[in-house]
Amino acid sequence: MTCNEIKELTVPYLELDLEPSRIRDITTHLEGCAGCRAEMEAVRQVLVRVRGMAVPDPGDQFWREFPHRVRRELERLQSTATTLGGPSRYQWFWGRAVTAKWTLSLAASLLLVVGAWSLKGLLDRGTGPPEQSVVQGPNAADLPSLGDGVWEAFWEDDPDMVLVEMATQLDRQTMDRLFADI
Amino acid sequence: MAPSDYQLLDRYAAGDDSAFEELVTRHQKTVYDLAHRMLENHADAADMAQKTFVQVFLHHRSFKRESSFRTWVYQICLNQCRNALRDRARLAHHEDVEGLALAAPHDTFTQVAGSELKDRLGQAIRTLPARQREALVLRVYHDHAFADIGVIMSCSEGTAKANYHHAVDKLRRVLMAGEG
Repeated sequence: MTCNEIKELTVPYLELDLEPSRIRDITTHLEGCAGCRAEMEAVRQVLVRVRGMAVPDPGDQFWREFPHRVRRELERLQSTATTLGGPSRYQWFWGRAVTAKWTLSLAASLLLVVGAWSLKGLLDRGTGPPEQSVVQGPNAADLPSLGDGVWEAFWEDDPDMVLVEMATQLDRQTMDRLFADI
Repeated sequence: MAPSDYQLLDRYAAGDDSAFEELVTRHQKTVYDLAHRMLENHADAADMAQKTFVQVFLHHRSFKRESSFRTWVYQICLNQCRNALRDRARLAHHEDVEGLALAAPHDTFTQVAGSELKDRLGQAIRTLPARQREALVLRVYHDHAFADIGVIMSCSEGTAKANYHHAVDKLRRVLMAGEG
């Protein structure tokens, strides 16, 4: 074994946390290597000194009273929980619902439904009947068609409506001609 | 023959109050020791040990008995200590920001007083990363097997070993630097 390998295994060696054959190999190496022996001794010293650092004992009285201290705190918490009352059915249901894994499944299902709804709306819009023109005033049927020669009678009452109707008529005529060509 | 921890826990669950006291008495010193080594003062350690046992008895029904009772209690205690240390660090940071001028004399004093080997070692242990310190404490002071340390620290046995080895190596370097 090399010195570097020994260095890596110093702690497990001291802890006897190695295969017996490895421990034998390291022991053999240490017998002939002063550097590794010194390194090993340094680590052993660390462990001895660290182990020697004791926690001050709080005393017998503390230990005698400690279980009672725990009990008092436990009882206090339990009585607080009882005083506040158990969860209502509503709280119980939502407590379960929030913590249950199916909350995520529910959210995913809702998203799917909303998505499907939106998609349906889009498809309907694409294949449904053409939208009606907004410029279909209630007076449109009463107005003369283009070229009637009588539209002047309406001009004085509502020139805007006449203009709109004329534009609509023109548009219809153009569309009819176009479709006829096709 | 003394009843096992599992038997005492069963008796407590069945309403036997004496089992409660027996369980606490059996483990109070090790739990307090662990808490003290992590938190470094009696008041916090006593408080933490109490909190640990309260949690144990409040949640004893959720203990699945996949590990020993002692390992489970250690797990709870270590988690509580981690939370306390996190809170303490947050508070210390807050105070540092507010009182930078007051921090310097205290630090100087600590450096001078820390010339003793024991202080230096204690200081070195304090400055170890949390996981390394936990592994060191559980191994050196509580003689846990690395497999148990892995369970308590919620990591693999290999990680527990690595943390422990790094900790010892750091302490060795600190001591050698001090002695050299």
